[in-house]
Amino acid sequence: MSAPVSAPARSGFDLLARAAAGRGEGADESAAEAELLVLWLGDDAYALPVERVREIVRLRPITPVPRVPACVRGVLSLRGEIVQVVDLRLRLGLAPAQGASPRRRVIVLNGEDGQLTGVLVDRVSEVLRLREDALRPPTERDAGTVAALAPYGERFVSVFDVDRLLDVAGE
Amino acid sequence: MAARRTRGQARSRAAREFVSEVEEILDRMRSDLADLADARARGRLDADLANRLFRSAHSLKGIAGMFGFEGMSELAHHLEDVLDGLRMGRLAADAPALNLLDETVELVTGLVGGGDGDAAEAEAAVRAMIARIEAALEAPAPPAPPDELDGLDPQLLRALTEYEEHRLREALRRGCAIHLVEASFEILSFEEGLSELTRAVRDGGEVISTLPAPGDSADSQIRFSLLVGSDVAAEELRGRIDVAGATVRELRAGVRSAAATSAPQPPGPQPDAAATESEPPRAGEGNGELESLKSISDTVRVDIRKLDELMNLVGELVIQRGAIGAIAERLLRDPATAKIGRELGKVHKALERRLADLQAGVLEVRMVPLRQVFEKLSRVVRRLRRDSGKDVSLDIRGGDTELDKLIVEQLADPLMHVVRNAFDHAIEPAAERSAAGKPAVGTIRLDAFQRGNHVVIQVADDGRGIDADAVRARAVRLGLLAGDESLSRKQLLELVFAPGLSTSAEVTETSGRGVGMDVVRENVNALGGLVQLDSEPGRGTTVSFTLPITLAIIQALLVGVDDQRFAIPLNAVLETLLVDAPTIQRSEGREFLNLRGEPLPLRRLHAEFGLAAPATGARQAVVVVGLGDARVGVLVDRLEGQQDAVIKPIQGPIRNVRGIAGATELGQQGTVLVIDVAALVEDSGHRREAA
Repeated sequence: MSAPVSAPARSGFDLLARAAAGRGEGADESAAEAELLVLWLGDDAYALPVERVREIVRLRPITPVPRVPACVRGVLSLRGEIVQVVDLRLRLGLAPAQGASPRRRVIVLNGEDGQLTGVLVDRVSEVLRLREDALRPPTERDAGTVAALAPYGERFVSVFDVDRLLDVAGE
Repeated sequence: MAARRTRGQARSRAAREFVSEVEEILDRMRSDLADLADARARGRLDADLANRLFRSAHSLKGIAGMFGFEGMSELAHHLEDVLDGLRMGRLAADAPALNLLDETVELVTGLVGGGDGDAAEAEAAVRAMIARIEAALEAPAPPAPPDELDGLDPQLLRALTEYEEHRLREALRRGCAIHLVEASFEILSFEEGLSELTRAVRDGGEVISTLPAPGDSADSQIRFSLLVGSDVAAEELRGRIDVAGATVRELRAGVRSAAATSAPQPPGPQPDAAATESEPPRAGEGNGELESLKSISDTVRVDIRKLDELMNLVGELVIQRGAIGAIAERLLRDPATAKIGRELGKVHKALERRLADLQAGVLEVRMVPLRQVFEKLSRVVRRLRRDSGKDVSLDIRGGDTELDKLIVEQLADPLMHVVRNAFDHAIEPAAERSAAGKPAVGTIRLDAFQRGNHVVIQVADDGRGIDADAVRARAVRLGLLAGDESLSRKQLLELVFAPGLSTSAEVTETSGRGVGMDVVRENVNALGGLVQLDSEPGRGTTVSFTLPITLAIIQALLVGVDDQRFAIPLNAVLETLLVDAPTIQRSEGREFLNLRGEPLPLRRLHAEFGLAAPATGARQAVVVVGLGDARVGVLVDRLEGQQDAVIKPIQGPIRNVRGIAGATELGQQGTVLVIDVAALVEDSGHRREAA
């Protein structure tokens, strides 16, 4: 159960992290930095705080679980731990993904009180490193799952509030 | 569960060991205190217990000091003082002294548990307790008795320590006979012989002192004399000793009549004794430091997490083993490789056997007797008795029944709750009981026994029973039930498990408010267990817990439904049937089957889990599952054989999926959900229309 993060996931992730670090300014060490993992649903980018990400794995067969909200696609086994997988598209009320894509990933997040949860996304692109004061409050709070907006090139990405995102019981 | 624990706050290893060691000491002290109180109730102070308690307090002091817990160390020091006072007779072994000990041990328990509580508050509590102990110790000692030792050999008396002398006086005061038992042993093997002799003597009395005796024994021999206080006469004691050449000399005759001595214990039932005194005799206990050192060195304390890890490893090996078996099968099928396949098959068989042994071994290590929990309960009842002034006796049976440590731990709270309910609500006040023609003292009976692959624990009281009409009224008020709905008594009793429904209008501090049997059921269900309730008005209530012996590895029956596969714990499977579709009957929309003359309620797994219905074939596979005395037939599409499975909790945002106990990984077959049989059985007993 205490097995370390698997080597491929770790190195892939490190590559991403190094790439992101290379692009950052790197001058202002004193300011608090936020690290965000950028993920995609169709043409829309979102982000998750890196400190809540345990690992990223390829999509593999998911065992469906009865009597759960539709966005919980089922469970998969992660080196002996059985983890629920939330389909992010369904969680946000978007149309389900069409067809199979080799780029789909499950991002394994550390949930409340140490419970792991997988989040199914279309693809993962990079780790964004930025100063925390660059974050902006979200425009609308209705959905409640977005904690902040982060500048991303010419655009913003929505940064999820992980605990709210994983609170799917009310669905 | 296991997963949450592994990732709990990372307390440092040293701190964890400290806590586990202190908890162990406290457990031992609690159990000894309980025994001490029982012994006192029978009119004597058990010297061995007082000694053991003293040693425990001493260890506690040492370890608390070592880790810099000054308050705890000081408390332990004062515990020592009190216990020393008791065993030396300076302090009367009465209820206040025992309560003081109880409360101090509880305070220390609180200090260990609440690591981050209010420090100032804890400090104040420690100070207050120490002040009370000091006050008790300064109270005048009981008057010195007239010297009963006159007439005994002064040389012998000189050899006794202060403590031994006190024990001798105590024995004389109780009217015991005093004997000197002498025997010679070969030097090379005297330890064994001596402990055997001690054991034999202890059956008939108390060994006050063991002294090497000068004598004319042969060179290769060593002679001992045991000073014994006993309820039996010299000849009878000699008859119990099976050691060649042993002699028993009576130094002082007993005061009591032969009739009284033949029944050293009160004749009334002492079921407590069965639970607490059935420990295997420890070699040479109370026989000096030599033996006690030995007994410490041959046990090892193990963190349960390490056992979990071992269990996981074994589980993974079992899966690998299955893969090897499959390869052997494949090789066997091809004539070109059949020979290798056969050889691999043999190796696989041997591996399978060894693995089964390994699995059984690891499982056995995890087993602990229920006595630990029962002792805690008996302490709670004593405290309730003290605080409420209500006299209730607690009968304990089956404390030796063993269960997985993890289950035993998780069981403590539900059992506590049920016992408190019985004490507070079920047992009537003495006057009411007498008026109803019952014994004035109520009884709560705790009983544990093994039944097949399960352990059953029953908490039975002889109280007023559950008032079904009151339950009904309450349920209607809470909106759980329509006013005109007709339910059988059994169905009404089931409502006790509904959230928020307490069975008594009275709310007390101990049972709390609205605390319910729903939590009890939920916790026990989480362990794969079942809670059932039976109650007769005026006669009493019995709550039965049926639990699997272990959670770690189970044998599972794999079943297929639609395109999915599920595992059903085999220990809950009574049989599997293939039935012709027309034999399935319906009544009020529910399906059932005539199983050898008894109606068997049926549930279709695909309907339960919202899966596609199978094309109706002529024959249907039915898995008959049972827990306690409830039975349900589960209709599935396919039976797919048996397999070992390690049940894992499911992590993620949805905490409890009704009907699913967890999941297991089965090699190439992927992850398979494990069916929660208890939930299926319970749901079929009382389909909740509201849900």
